Amino acid sequence: MQIVIASGKGGVGKSTVSSSLIYLLKDKHKIIAVDADADAPNLDLLFGVETWEEKKELTGAKVARINHDRCIKCGICAERCPYECIKLINGNYVVSDITCEGCGVCALVCPVKGTITLEEVRSGVIKKTTTKYGFPLISAQLDVGRPNSGKLVTEEKNWAKRIMEKQRLEHMIVDSAAGIGCQVIASVGGADVAILVAEPTPASLSDLKRIYKVVQHFREPAYIVINKADLNPGFKGIHEFAEQEGIPILGEIPYDRAIPESMIKMKPVVEAFPDSKASKALKEIAKTVEEEILKK
Amino acid sequence: MHMHKIFKVLGKPNNRGEEMQIAVSGGKGGTGKSTIAINLAIALKEHFDLVLADLDVEAPNDHLLLGVELQNESPVNSFIPHFDYSKCIRCKKCAEVCEENAIITMRDGTPFLMPTLCSGCRACEIVCPVHGAILEGQKLMGYTYETQTPYEFPLVTGKLLEGEERAMPIVVAAKRRAKKLNKELLVVDTAAGTSNTVSKALEDSQLIIAVTEPTPLGLHDLGLILELAKIMDIEAWIIINRSDLGPKEPIKELAEKYSAKIVGEIPYSERIIKSYVEGKPIILTGCEESEIFRGLAKKVIKYLR
Repeated sequence: MQIVIASGKGGVGKSTVSSSLIYLLKDKHKIIAVDADADAPNLDLLFGVETWEEKKELTGAKVARINHDRCIKCGICAERCPYECIKLINGNYVVSDITCEGCGVCALVCPVKGTITLEEVRSGVIKKTTTKYGFPLISAQLDVGRPNSGKLVTEEKNWAKRIMEKQRLEHMIVDSAAGIGCQVIASVGGADVAILVAEPTPASLSDLKRIYKVVQHFREPAYIVINKADLNPGFKGIHEFAEQEGIPILGEIPYDRAIPESMIKMKPVVEAFPDSKASKALKEIAKTVEEEILKK
Repeated sequence: MHMHKIFKVLGKPNNRGEEMQIAVSGGKGGTGKSTIAINLAIALKEHFDLVLADLDVEAPNDHLLLGVELQNESPVNSFIPHFDYSKCIRCKKCAEVCEENAIITMRDGTPFLMPTLCSGCRACEIVCPVHGAILEGQKLMGYTYETQTPYEFPLVTGKLLEGEERAMPIVVAAKRRAKKLNKELLVVDTAAGTSNTVSKALEDSQLIIAVTEPTPLGLHDLGLILELAKIMDIEAWIIINRSDLGPKEPIKELAEKYSAKIVGEIPYSERIIKSYVEGKPIILTGCEESEIFRGLAKKVIKYLR
């Protein structure tokens, strides 16, 4: 089974929920963890990963380059770039390689053939390790300024699937990035179940509604976990939305200093502070996940 | 990686009447970017004619924090090719040139579009040798908004349509709409991460304010945004939010490595959370936390003037 953990909004507790679920389920189930937040990968930090067994460089991203000796300074490329990435600087047209999407329009419209070329660049790296807890973890790191690509996440998942087959693992738990764009779509796509993490704030509710629409595109069953549940007692928006859409709430985690403190210890909160309020709630959630989701 | 350094022609912000721009970013999600951005914008409004641009197009929330509803919706449409099969000569050039592999061809060369993959770049249209074989089609990608706030500055927001993958066209459209207002100062709030959509939002800034929190996760992602700021040759300042959460030493070391100034620390505060959930900016309350934002605004004003 493939479970994706997403939220739309950043910083609401995706990695806290993922790392704790993985930790709590790892002994009874054969699990592989995938950190699909290539912009800001954090699961390795929560599992205290120090070394990687295998790394693959990902090329495939392309950026345009202009040969200044051949360029006739007509400016057509700058005019036609859909993303305004080409500018005239000190008399030369220059492509900004940290905003270029690599579409190649500039090369096509350039009247002097061979002046603008698309060059393959490294977009990032994907990595694999076996954590000290025994389960494998796949992670990725996008190089700064590179186009964010669902391909990176798809590569991670494909790698995870191969390992699952080889090691006869049962479940893949995917910790997605914030947002609703390509990385998240690649994380949600192909999952069997989505666990959506939210906190009781209007901003998180707004983003929850957006990520739920993405999950609906894929017709996946969704569940909600409310984090920092006691942050804003008067706010019932998440419950109302869950009820209206018929999304089961898996559990509610209270605000607990044990969570940031566990991050500093670089451990899942359920390991670092097993008796904390947050850990108790997370253990209940893990139990429900086992009974409601994994057994189906 | 050195090319774009020349993008920044001026080392210092200008005072020649050209538009100034600052950006609030941070790498990690949920560190408090939007809280800083809206409060800073309110504080700076007394000194600059400004516009705030929410370029976190996948999860835009500044309007909620400002307690306003989005207004003046404008669709962002992207080009998609419509094939006129009576004119198409099945040369497959459109499919070959498509970097996104959004056009597949049948064995006889008949092209088909997979619309979700199409980036709207028009490479296929440009390369098609037959006039009229590729017609103008449109796909809705998202919206931009221009909202009047009660704080005497407009908010421009970009919002990616759910299910669409590409944030870049929305970031470009929203930033363009904000710039069109010709304000003296553009304050940009970016998405989490350090991908090229974040660089697009940061582009042309004279200052990046990176919001972080003192955890290994916050530190790691701060490192990435400082690296991006260095590549773009933009001055970076750091704000440590929830500063009592953990040790600050590692952030100080990182700041030193990148010659980035730590300009403020905001302790965990129930009042800030309350203001956040109620859509009432903390800076208007006059409580001690609001002084932190005023202090930050003063530093920004000094830097820009």
